[in-house]
Amino acid sequence: MKRNLICALLILLAKASAQDDVGLGPKGPVVKMAPAPTVAVVQGKSATETLSFKIANGFHINSNRPKSEYLIPTALKVGATTDIVIGRITYPEGKDMTFAFSPDEKLNVYAGDFTVDVLVRPLHTVTPGKYIVRGTLKFQACDNTACYPPKSLPISFDVRITKAASGHSRNPRQSPHVHH
Amino acid sequence: MKRNPLILFFVAALVGVMLFAGLRNARNNRNGPVNGQIMGNIAPDFELQSLEGKNLKLSSLRGKAVLLNFWATYCGPCKIEMPWFVEMQKEYGPQGFQIVGVAMDDASPEDIAKFAKDMGVNYPILVGKESVGVSYGGVSVLPTTFFLDRDGKVMFREFGLQSRSVFVDHIKQALNQGKAVQARK
Repeated sequence: MKRNLICALLILLAKASAQDDVGLGPKGPVVKMAPAPTVAVVQGKSATETLSFKIANGFHINSNRPKSEYLIPTALKVGATTDIVIGRITYPEGKDMTFAFSPDEKLNVYAGDFTVDVLVRPLHTVTPGKYIVRGTLKFQACDNTACYPPKSLPISFDVRITKAASGHSRNPRQSPHVHH
Repeated sequence: MKRNPLILFFVAALVGVMLFAGLRNARNNRNGPVNGQIMGNIAPDFELQSLEGKNLKLSSLRGKAVLLNFWATYCGPCKIEMPWFVEMQKEYGPQGFQIVGVAMDDASPEDIAKFAKDMGVNYPILVGKESVGVSYGGVSVLPTTFFLDRDGKVMFREFGLQSRSVFVDHIKQALNQGKAVQARK
């Protein structure tokens, strides 16, 4: 009898837990960004910041170059800064995968971990110091049976600008405050 | 009176489960009528513009069994269902069945129309609005499909891609339910 009671309880708990959860979409964030390392760069020079992202198990997002015009590409948008030029953003190659909902069509996706490289180049006149660069990663996720509306994940990373060895004068009007 | 500790434990656990479920429901209901509130009730009415520029009011379809499909052009699983829907519209349409697609993406109506044409869609596609999605519980999963009987009551709701047989079964029940309701009048 005890076993029957426990079974009944477990079934009730499972039902309560599963009730309509699927209709609410993913329980947690589908894509998370790992803490971004501070990129050190000299005034007037370039450096690359590598942003690392993790996609939750069971989900995938379109790569930056999905194979259909209707699919929403993963894209990083970095906010404009006055002192730091944001250069080329490099996305990884996606994986060609087929899914239960698309057995005849390969989709180019990211799954698991992926990185995005961002080239930063502070102007040679920028005051040395620490700056924050902010942006968003836009992505659209699916699992094996459903898709979810596009999301924008806020991202940020620090840029530590050091003084060039010589030859450039400092712009006295600028200060090393945090820039957004 | 001797109390059986096992019974006490069971009652306490049951109360716990019910509280847990209640809290979940309260949390889940923040975006609209989900978790049964919409089931069995008249589907929230709306009026949306079709890709042809005509307005369609859901309640104008009263008397027909309706499959209301929220989808998007970026949704792969939605693409699998659409050819099924085309066939189902052909097969069950003469019996008083109507499919209505509601496109919930940011694509332009022209792009949605091109997509629908490529898929050979033979039922109205409406350009969705967030407020309509909210009235149906948020529609945070695509596809989300509702089955309404002839009186406009929501009989079934399916999240994500389902097997074709599930849809056929729901359609048949929606058609029959409407007939039974009409017979009582």
